[in-house]
Order: sequence, then C-alpha cells, then structure tokens
Amino acid sequence: MAKRVLIVDDAAFMRMLLKDIITKAGYEVAGEAANGVEAVEKYKELKPDVVTMDITMPEMDGITAIKKIKEIDPNAKIIVCSAMGQQAMVIEAIQAGAKDFIVKPFQHSRVIEALQKLS
Amino acid sequence: MNEQYLSIFIDESREYVQSLNESLLKLEKNPRDEETVNETFRILHTLKGMAGTMGFERMAKLTHRMEQLLDKVRSKKVALTSDLLDRLFAGVDMIDKMVNNVASGGNDQVNEEDLKSLMDAFEVVQEQKVEEQKVQSETKKESVDVEDSVMKVIHEASKEGYGAFKVKVTLAEGTIMKAVRMYMVFKAIEDSGGQVLSSVPPVEDIEQEKFDREVELVIIAKQDAESLHKMIASISEIERVTVTTIAKVQEKLKEEEKEREVKKEEVLEEAKIVEEKAQEQKISQKRRLVQTVRVDIDKLDTLMNLMGELVISRSRISDILRKYNIKEVDESLSQLNRITLDLQNVVMKIRMVPIAFVFNRFPRMVRDLAKQLSKEINFVIEGEDTELDRTFVEDIGEPLVHLLRNAIDHGIETKEERIAKGKPPVGTVVLSARHEGNNVVIEVKDDGRGIDRATVLKKAIEKGLISEAQAENLSDEKVYEFLFLPGFSTRSNATELSGRGVGMDVVKNVVESLNGTVKIESVKDRGTTVTIRLPLTLAIIQALLVTVNNHVYAIPIANIDSTLNVSANKIQKLQDKLVTVIRGEIIPLVKLWEVFGLNGHKEEQYYNTVIVRMGNRKYGLVVDSLIGQEDIVIKSLGKIFNDVRIFSGGAILGDGSIALILDVSNIV
Repeated sequence: MAKRVLIVDDAAFMRMLLKDIITKAGYEVAGEAANGVEAVEKYKELKPDVVTMDITMPEMDGITAIKKIKEIDPNAKIIVCSAMGQQAMVIEAIQAGAKDFIVKPFQHSRVIEALQKLS
Repeated sequence: MNEQYLSIFIDESREYVQSLNESLLKLEKNPRDEETVNETFRILHTLKGMAGTMGFERMAKLTHRMEQLLDKVRSKKVALTSDLLDRLFAGVDMIDKMVNNVASGGNDQVNEEDLKSLMDAFEVVQEQKVEEQKVQSETKKESVDVEDSVMKVIHEASKEGYGAFKVKVTLAEGTIMKAVRMYMVFKAIEDSGGQVLSSVPPVEDIEQEKFDREVELVIIAKQDAESLHKMIASISEIERVTVTTIAKVQEKLKEEEKEREVKKEEVLEEAKIVEEKAQEQKISQKRRLVQTVRVDIDKLDTLMNLMGELVISRSRISDILRKYNIKEVDESLSQLNRITLDLQNVVMKIRMVPIAFVFNRFPRMVRDLAKQLSKEINFVIEGEDTELDRTFVEDIGEPLVHLLRNAIDHGIETKEERIAKGKPPVGTVVLSARHEGNNVVIEVKDDGRGIDRATVLKKAIEKGLISEAQAENLSDEKVYEFLFLPGFSTRSNATELSGRGVGMDVVKNVVESLNGTVKIESVKDRGTTVTIRLPLTLAIIQALLVTVNNHVYAIPIANIDSTLNVSANKIQKLQDKLVTVIRGEIIPLVKLWEVFGLNGHKEEQYYNTVIVRMGNRKYGLVVDSLIGQEDIVIKSLGKIFNDVRIFSGGAILGDGSIALILDVSNIV
C-alpha cells in the first residue's frame, strides 16, 4: 500500500512542489497544512504515515508542532523541511523527534530518499 | 656592459654553482632535508637575480625554472626523486657552462637545443610529479590515530558488556548541512545506548562543517557491528559506512604503533642529520670567512715577495750592526726581528687556503663516476679545513683526480663481486688531509680489491726491469714503485693491474715538482692507500747552506738525511761511479763541483758530504764546507733559466749574496 504523506508548509508554492514530487514517486498525499496548529489537527484526523514539516511558519512553528505530534504519537515519522543556514533549528527538530531532514531548494532524489528511508 | 661588476658576478656565480652541487649532493643523501631544499631554492633565486641584473636572460630563465621546481619540492607538490636530482644536476652544469662562457669573455650563450631540452625536462617533471603526489595525499588520509586515553575507556567499557568499534562514515556527494547529517549519526549512536569516544576530524570541526565527506569515529555500543551498520546506513545522505570491531582495530593499532616507531627512528635519524648539519655549518662558516676576503692572487704573491725582501734586509742590517758592535741598537734590533717573524707568519697564513678548495669538486665527480660505472660508493672527505699553500691548490687537483678515478674505476669492485667476497656491498673511498709536522699529508684510501703484487712483478719482468730472481726479494713498496714508471701500465691492461698505474707517473711528477713524495700501500682484497706528502709551503723553506768553490748553495732540509765527513780512502769506484759504504749501505757519491762544471779542485783528505734521500735511495753530495741551516725565501730563476734543471730557484741571503737552491732529484 502506498505511503500516505501529510505536507506542512505555509507557502502554497512549496506545498505544490512537494506534492508533485511525492505523488510522482508513487506516494499518496493524505493532506496539507499551512501552519503548526493545522498540522497537529490534520495529523490527529488523517493519521498519515509520514509528515513533511516546514520549520518557520505562522501560528505555530514546525518544532513545536513536531513535539505536539510526538506527544500524540511517539512513533510519528516526521521529515523536517528547512531552508539553508538553519542548522541549529534542524538539530532542534531532530532532538524533538524528527527522523530526517530535507533542505530547500528541494532535490527530488533527496526527498524520495528521505521517504524511502522511513518506510 | 657592467664591466666593473662582471668579475664579482663570475666569482660569486662560481661559488653558488659549487654550493648548488653541494646542496644537491646533500639532497641526494637525504631528499627530505627541508633546510637544504630551502637553501637550494635561495641560491637559485639569488643566481636568478644576479643573472637578470647582468642581462643574462638565458641564465635567468634557467634558474627561474629550477627555482620554480624547487619551490614545488618545498611545498611538497613534487617529490625529489633521483631522476629529478639528475636533471637538477644537469641544470647546475648548464649554469656552470654559462658562467664559464661569461668568464671567457662571452655571454650566457649555450647550445640552444641543449638548453631547451633541459627546460622541457623540468616542465615534464613538474607536471608528472604533481599528479603522483595527489594520489599519495589521498591515501594518507586513511590512517586514524586512536589515542591511548580512548583505549583506556574502551577497556573499561568492555567490562560492562560494551563493544568497541571504529566507524567510518562517508557522506553522499553534495550533502547539504553536513554537520546536521553527522549530528544524526551521533544521535543515532547515542539513542541506541552507545557513545562516541573520539572522532576525526574532532567534533568542533564537524559542527562547523570543517570536513570533507569522511568522518571516522571510535565508539562503544551494545549492538554488534552489523546492526550498527544497518542503523547508520538507514540515515539519509550517507554514501558508505564501515564498522570495524575494535579487536581488529587493536591489531591495526599495533601496526600503526610499529609505523610510529619507525617514524621515531626516522626522527632520530633526522636529529642526527641536523647535528651533522650544524657541524657542516661550522665548517662552511669558516670557509665563508676565507671567501669573503677577495684579494687578487698576484697581489698576494707580491706581498710574499716583499715579505721576503724585508726578511733579507733585516738579516743584512743585523749583519752590519753586529760587525760594528753597537750595543744600543741590540734591543730594537731584536724587536725588529720579532716583528718581521710575526709578519712573515701572518703573510704565510694569508697564502694558506683550506684544502676544501680542492676537495669541493670531488663529491660531484665521484657521484657522476659511480653512477656511470653503476657502483655504489660511500665517499668520505676528512680534514677538508686543513690548510696548505695556495700554490699547491692549483696543482694538486689533477693528481687527486687520477687517484680517485683509479680508486673508483679499478679499486672498488662491482657490487656482486663485493658481496661474493663478503665485503659490504657499498664501497668506501676516503679522501683525507691532515698536517703532520711541516707537511701536509693527503690520502686517497679505498676498500677495493687492492694491487696484485704478482701481476705487477710479472709485468716488470716482461718489461725487463728486473730479473725473476730479483723479484723474489723485492719489498711490496719497491714493487708498487714500478707503477710510477711512465708507460708501465696502459689503459688496456689497467684492470689486470687493478688499475693502478693509469696516470700514476703523472701523479708522481706533479707531486715531486711540489717537493712532495707519494707512496702506495695495498693489501689484496682489503684496499689501497695512496699517500701524498707535501711541504706546508713552497715560498719559504728551511735549507742547509753549503759552499762549493766559494759559492753558496742551499739544499732543502726536507731532502737531507744526514751530513758526514767521509775520508778519501773510504771512497771507492764501482762501475766508474764513486761510492762509499756507510753502516753497511752502499751510497753513491756526487761531487757537486763536477756537476756544476767547476774546475780547479784538489784532492782532499776528507770530504764534507751531505746525504740526501730520494724516495728510498740515498746519495751523498760532496761539498766544500757546511755553513748552517737557514730559512730562505725561494725566488724563481726566471724564464730564461727554465731549462736549468739542477736548481729549483735562488735565494737572497742575509749578506746580500745569492744562493742557488739545489733540485736534488735532478742532480742524482
């Protein structure tokens, strides 16, 4: 069964891009969220296999969202999406429980690799 | 052009060429001697500057090329191979040629094709070596140091059921945020209950992304190697992971320890080299001091002559004053005596130069010759700061070249031959100089095959020099003396005779013209030693003054064995020659007045006889009376009397009269 992915990003453009990559790689996009709050709610609602989580977002940032999701589901598989130069944030996210990270601008292969590694 | 600078340019360039040869020889022995690499670089740089200033563009270009190459060696981009050294040597020869051309009134023009091919050779070397080096530096990165403190922790942890592993992680090419990726590796290990003990590069550098793609960790963990591998490999952007259990690491450690020990030894060796270098520096400093005083040789000769005149004048004045017995001047006269003596000594010393001036060029010659003959030779120079009169410096070089050539070409055996004889495969040739009393002794010693007495004798008998019966009883020394005869040995049978004899008559002639002696000692299969003995100086000698028909003559003390009063009835005729027997030894007598063609001599009851030594033979020179011993200043007789063989020169005596100096070797 194809993996179901929740895409979290405040920029619609980024979400569209990721959706494109993910579906082309044969995964199913379960849903999208534009901020941390939405992400937590959607996670509870959709129970996706994998979450791609942007860090800098309004309402609730990615790291807090990771922590919340981890509280709900300790086995949640989250991939952090980060812009270049956000090393410290990425490390924080990983400490919070993210399993992998991908860096913008996205390389298709990297995104797919990250998804595969989590299967 | 810059005429006024030309002579100093030539002099200095020659010095630098010599220094370059020395440095390259040093580098040949120890290619990692950075200081010498630097020095070579510096010399080339200086030469380049000099050549450029003088407008010798070819020379500037060549030195620039060589300098560039040395710079690459210096920055370790190029390894100093023997092939490269050969080319550098060729380059130095080319510079030498240019300098010589300049010295002989031309410019730095040389055969353009030679120059071009040499330059191209440097180019090729540069390119090749860079690549080789690259590969080397990459493989070097493989090794990892595991500190002792880390080993201790591993030991402790193993008691608590931890295994120790060496983990090598290679990140994928183009990994962004390498630090974070590595953090994930660290985290994975720690999350699974393991611990990272050390890493190369250190954690600080990893955090700042100061690493390429490879990181090596020493960790302890409870899992086995396989699951560790699986765990780390599951992290994204990791190209390769290798996990080695520490037992294996320990083995590797031991190997590395061994390597380190070898390195330690090398360090020790290097320390030794440094020490040697310090000594060399001392010597070269000494040498440099001598070199910085640039005096025209003619001026030095004039000074010496004037000095001689002064000594003569002094003697005359003291003679006159003694005649009138004026007490008041005695004190000031003795002071004058002291001062002139001191002055004489100083002037003598100025004329003295270290024999290094002669020896300097030999290491290069020996190297080239050894290479050409594919023999391995350890060339040792001893006592190169021994000083001798500069008149010798010009003349002694050639005989030494002959002797060294003989030693290397014919004395030292091939490697195989040496091994078969149980000798060390590398032959040793020692060139040494030392002072011995009033003499300078120069020795050329090899540990080669030695001279075969039987072969020499066979040859001597063949040539009709001795009978077979005589041959039996000849001492070794006498046997080897045959080798000094002109034409005794030719090139074709040189090897048969162990090579001695090639140019040996030349050696003997030169040495004897310098009032010296030469001697051969040899032991079969152990080697040969040729000893040259020269007087300290030629300018002032001690002589015995004698009279013949009221004329004063001087006989060099160096030639004199003893003086005797021979009664007329002890003189006998043997084959038309006068001889006498002294202590059982038959000694030929020579009446000097007959040699000089002076008539009107009566027969006497007793004859004053000076016994002189020529090699191993003794002769008696019969004179009228003996005056005494004196230091005399030798003056040449001038070109007109060039073919007068029985006198080597003249000397002015204290009373202003002239004494001719006997050349004993041409009288008997």
